[in-house]
Amino acid sequence: MTHPDFEAQVDLYLDGELAPSDARELEVHLVQCAECTRFRDKRLALRAAIKSQIPALRAPEALRRRIQTQRRSGARFRAVVVWRSLALAASVAVVAFGGWQLGVQRGRGEMLASEVLTSHIRSLMPGGGHLTDVQSSDQHTVKPWFHGKLDYSPPVYDFAGRGYPLLGGRLDYIGGRSVAALVYGRRQHVINVVLWPRDRDPRASAPAAQTRQGYHVLRWVTPEYSYWAVSDLGLSELQDFERLLLQADSAAAPQPR
Amino acid sequence: MERERFERIVLPHLDGAYTLARYLTRNDADAQDIVQDASLRALKYGDGFRGSTAADARAWFLAIVRNTAYTWRQRQTNAAFVTEFNEDLHSDAGAAHDPAIAMDLRQALDQLPLEFREVIVLRELEGLSYKEISEVTDVPVGTVMSRLARARKRLQKALT
Repeated sequence: MTHPDFEAQVDLYLDGELAPSDARELEVHLVQCAECTRFRDKRLALRAAIKSQIPALRAPEALRRRIQTQRRSGARFRAVVVWRSLALAASVAVVAFGGWQLGVQRGRGEMLASEVLTSHIRSLMPGGGHLTDVQSSDQHTVKPWFHGKLDYSPPVYDFAGRGYPLLGGRLDYIGGRSVAALVYGRRQHVINVVLWPRDRDPRASAPAAQTRQGYHVLRWVTPEYSYWAVSDLGLSELQDFERLLLQADSAAAPQPR
Repeated sequence: MERERFERIVLPHLDGAYTLARYLTRNDADAQDIVQDASLRALKYGDGFRGSTAADARAWFLAIVRNTAYTWRQRQTNAAFVTEFNEDLHSDAGAAHDPAIAMDLRQALDQLPLEFREVIVLRELEGLSYKEISEVTDVPVGTVMSRLARARKRLQKALT
């Protein structure tokens, strides 16, 4: 047997995969061969280093809880879409998804972006449009309005001081799910931001920023939520708004593990 | 799959699943997504599991986790890949150990191709046999052995 053969045997030996008779033969060889002994010692040192420096991990408790309670498919919600006339010329809508069926699907991001944009345009349609179910600039009025309509409470902020006033919220229907929308304003422009809990995120892939039919569509994630934002507002202003939401979310977020 | 069976087969192996996903993605949020997605697949398609032992169940579930992670990787854009990598450079994993040494070996592991990284995690961290690794990674035992040898050789360099 040549040295490379022995080295391969050392790995098998240390991994407990060598047949007992071969193991004894190798042990005899190791006593006689300094080179193979050195190789073995290096492997043992590597194993010790891996053990101490590359730990096996524990699944986070939140993940364990989510998996213990998950069902074959997400909870379904009945769509409540009440069309109302459009009263507000400029607004930002934050749309929060209800349940979402997990599934790996190609084109998911593409489809979501398209639905979010459709929701945005529909919300602004004169006559048949429907911007808000709850019309208020008070986040403490809008946030509780979603209680009982969704099984989570989307974060609501008022950025009036920064020029993006909260205008209200609504339930909408996107991706086969009931969704909630929060509406903000920026001069004469409208922005829709869609969010749902990250643990229901279909992990659709979509660019951080894209332009569709003259509207800008942004997408970002926080530790808790996946967000979409859509508006005819200029891209840089829309991205300023994204930063405001990100800052507000991180200020409100629990400390990381 | 029956709820009860799911709890017996999948839940005991969440730590191993998370460990594998975390080292494959090098990222906590993606690892959690992958494990949750994989457990949902297990719940949906678990009737196809024919094994009897806990080790069978572990290999079966880890294979689902591994395939989910590979699907995830295919969807990543180059930009996302870079962001994720940088993030991990500043992660707190291994912070309890000597940071200088720990980062060297962790970095060496993180820089291995997925095919090498997974055999190291499955063998050294999870203690799977060659045969089990071959089931999880869907390659012959001989390939498992050669990948392990090559991966170890590259990690060894980080130690010297």
